[in-house]
Amino acid sequence: MTGRDDELFEAELRKLTPAPPPPELTARLASEMPTGFGLRQSSGAFGPRNPLPKRQRTGAVQDAAAPNRALPRPSWWRLFGWLAPAAAAAALIAALLLWRPSAPDGRLHVKPATASLKPAPKADEIEIDRRLVALFDAVAQLPSGEPVRFRCCEWADEVVVRDPARGIVIERRTPRLEVVPLRFETY
Amino acid sequence: MDESPQQTDWRRWLEDHAPKFLLFARQQARSEADAQDLVQEAVVEAARRRADGLPPPPALVFATIRRRAIDLARCEDRRTGRELAAADPTPVGWFDTSVEERERNQLIQDAMNRLPEMYREVVTLKVWGGLTFAEIADTLGIPANTAASRYRYGLAELRKLTKEVLA
Repeated sequence: MTGRDDELFEAELRKLTPAPPPPELTARLASEMPTGFGLRQSSGAFGPRNPLPKRQRTGAVQDAAAPNRALPRPSWWRLFGWLAPAAAAAALIAALLLWRPSAPDGRLHVKPATASLKPAPKADEIEIDRRLVALFDAVAQLPSGEPVRFRCCEWADEVVVRDPARGIVIERRTPRLEVVPLRFETY
Repeated sequence: MDESPQQTDWRRWLEDHAPKFLLFARQQARSEADAQDLVQEAVVEAARRRADGLPPPPALVFATIRRRAIDLARCEDRRTGRELAAADPTPVGWFDTSVEERERNQLIQDAMNRLPEMYREVVTLKVWGGLTFAEIADTLGIPANTAASRYRYGLAELRKLTKEVLA
């Protein structure tokens, strides 16, 4: 078979046109695609004063195209855009360095706040403590007859707020019962 | 209601390309319903990939149809042939058929069906898809030289099969 024959045969084949899609497929495709498909959108700067409502697109395509159609960042953003994450990182590091969760003696000392608000009581020292008031064991029996042992701790949580400048001391004690089940065999 | 220029543009693009996509999808899928679904999914997916809002290139849609057809075939392998046959009882013509050419077109379709798939898809993309060998190579994931040689072999084989029809 020669090249000329190939061309003639190919031309014969090209005479056949693919069958058009059924109307329902065309309708499905039209409903899936954005109405602005295939055309670039103008910025609207030179449009009428009261423009028509913006075109609506199907959600799926709109969602997919949204990241790609985001407005370009200005040039200053490229130069100084790194400042925002750098400042956030610096603030986080400073907060971690200044934050002291607890003192070595187990008490939590909170540094006084800045004295910008004069009328309010100034809390120079806040102590949060807990005292063990009582400790005892209790034995109970399950409906199945199996014994269960509990360790019961009575705590008194204390919060003391002092303002020496004004001579204010606020103490609050809250009782708390802590019940911990224990395996009978391990006791 | 009158259509906007954008809608007209979209419909024109669809009228130009959808028949080619459907022809290729019908060769890749096992049923007409699957072929139509492949076209719909591939067109939408290809349009999503375009960041500039322009119509997707046909080669991208063809490649997406083929990839999705492979995925679909893997899923359908779990289904029985009986279920597939029941789902698509009537064969669909691949080509636009006028009354006098119906028989000839059916013979060519039968000949295309008898072609090995590796030749059939290259011939389809080249003749009716209008792709270049480079685009066919990208679509099928093969070298361009391989696409060209498959096209020559496929054309020769198809000519043998349709010798009586197109002589």
